[in-house]
Amino acid sequence: MMDLFLAYEATVDHILVYALLAMSQYIVMRGGTFSVGTAGFAAIGGYGTAILITRAGWPPAAAIAAGTIIAMAVSAVMALPLSRLRGVFQAVATMAFVQVLVTVILNWDSLTRGALGISGIPKVVTTGWLLLIVAVVVVFLHVLGRFSIGKAMDVIREDETVAVSLGIRVIPHQALSLVISGALGGLGGAMFACNSYAITAEDFGFGMLNNALAMTVLGGRKSVWGPLIGAVVLVILPEVFRPFAEYRYVFQGALLMLVIIYLPNGVADTLFAAIRERRVRSSTSAAAARTS
Amino acid sequence: MLTQQLFNGVVIGSVYALFALGFTLLFGVNHILNMAFGSVFMWGAFAGLYAVTVLDLPFWLALIAGMLGGGIVSCLVDLVAFMPLRRRQAPDFSGIVSSIGANLILLMIAQKVSNTQIMRFPFDTFPIVIFQVFGLRIQLLQLIIIGTALLMVVVLVSLLYRTGLGRRIRSVAFSEGTSKLLGINSSLVNAQVFFLSGAMAGAAGVLIGLTFNSVHYLMGEPFLMQAFAVIILGGLGSIPGALLAGLLIGLVQAMSFAYISSAAADAITFAVLFLIILVRPTGLFGKASTILRVQRR
Repeated sequence: MMDLFLAYEATVDHILVYALLAMSQYIVMRGGTFSVGTAGFAAIGGYGTAILITRAGWPPAAAIAAGTIIAMAVSAVMALPLSRLRGVFQAVATMAFVQVLVTVILNWDSLTRGALGISGIPKVVTTGWLLLIVAVVVVFLHVLGRFSIGKAMDVIREDETVAVSLGIRVIPHQALSLVISGALGGLGGAMFACNSYAITAEDFGFGMLNNALAMTVLGGRKSVWGPLIGAVVLVILPEVFRPFAEYRYVFQGALLMLVIIYLPNGVADTLFAAIRERRVRSSTSAAAARTS
Repeated sequence: MLTQQLFNGVVIGSVYALFALGFTLLFGVNHILNMAFGSVFMWGAFAGLYAVTVLDLPFWLALIAGMLGGGIVSCLVDLVAFMPLRRRQAPDFSGIVSSIGANLILLMIAQKVSNTQIMRFPFDTFPIVIFQVFGLRIQLLQLIIIGTALLMVVVLVSLLYRTGLGRRIRSVAFSEGTSKLLGINSSLVNAQVFFLSGAMAGAAGVLIGLTFNSVHYLMGEPFLMQAFAVIILGGLGSIPGALLAGLLIGLVQAMSFAYISSAAADAITFAVLFLIILVRPTGLFGKASTILRVQRR
């Protein structure tokens, strides 16, 4: 059992790091904001942590906390103007944000060592720590979803006009979800940096943006299990299809299209809705049997 | 030196405008961001290149082959990625996600077809003619690019505002449901719009592939990001806006390329894009009526 775990440790770590990023993507989309800034927040968190550890000699825990807080601060600055935009424009603005960050990182040689990336980061984040952190975040998001904030976010996502007519204030809710997304993205980036010895700007570019988005779409945007399932599936799938490694992007692209067309709510949410419907139906039919 | 840089800026700007026109047409009519547009452009360039290398056709036929290729791929993308969503009236973001999926597939097929190689047009595809005017070095191909960009804008604007097809396209852009009630075959109009935008992308692909003398499977991706900047700066779906914004961005890039650094050019473009969209998301030429679609108050 232990051997089996060790053989797959890298994969498990990968899943857990991406679970954080997918949850960062999930929380904005739950509130109906179409931000794809997760990769940018991860870049800030990752580079912030790596620079503080390797250059300033901070202890890793403090550096991770600082990286997360910097990413959160950046997302807080972006939150208000971004929540005034609508769908597609939020996506374009955040895409531009990611591009600006990657370009700056690639060219600010004195701070980020440009295209070389930062290496020699101690691997302080082990699988156990990752598991603990992901568990805490899942509980936090789950609890958040149970309260009125989560319900309000659901209404905003499904229909903004209805949300406004119910007296739900759209902009603060979306700003809040973006700030949480920034913190989670920064945390995910910091974990990524402290788990992989070295980081380069390309790690945080369009590929990461794409993956986090694909995981959330695949899993679902309502329940917190959605991004987790998405992360597990999309990390394991290329491993399973390794003989067809050349075609993995074809698989991923086709999967993305099929899910968004035929399961627009994602695997997890569709599944939960089906289970709930079944339970309701069986209880109503039982009630009907009793009355007749 | 300065005039040469200004001229280079105009050429780069026309290249961006060439790419962005089809993109902004789709954005204006269907309100979708087609993330697979870079691939459509690339497939257009591939079609033109293979027309020259495999079928040994002259340049102008290759241009038409590129337009056909781009148009067909664009229609396929519509069929697979957008039409099912349009039927369901899915939210905006679904189209972005499904076209990212389509883009991945198109890119990987192109990588397989081209063996990840950078391909070139044969040396004599297009004659190299250089004019010397007032100390400027001007290539014939550069003039053709500027001319094509201008021509496309004129043709597209007159198509949209002077013909029956244009009226149908504009009514579908205004409201698909209403135009259906008026007896317009909206799926045909959508297919025509996709073909038109793909054909423009294909022509841009052949011309740009010829200018930079490299055709490869990732050639569309950097242009896609620039096109975002162009259409946002130019205003939602505005066609003259796309041309002007393309020229503006081209000039800014040429200047920062010459006088600051090559890295600054991209950073400045994206930073400007980011700020414009936060401060004035309707762009320079957006109309007041589009604000509702862009921004909430």
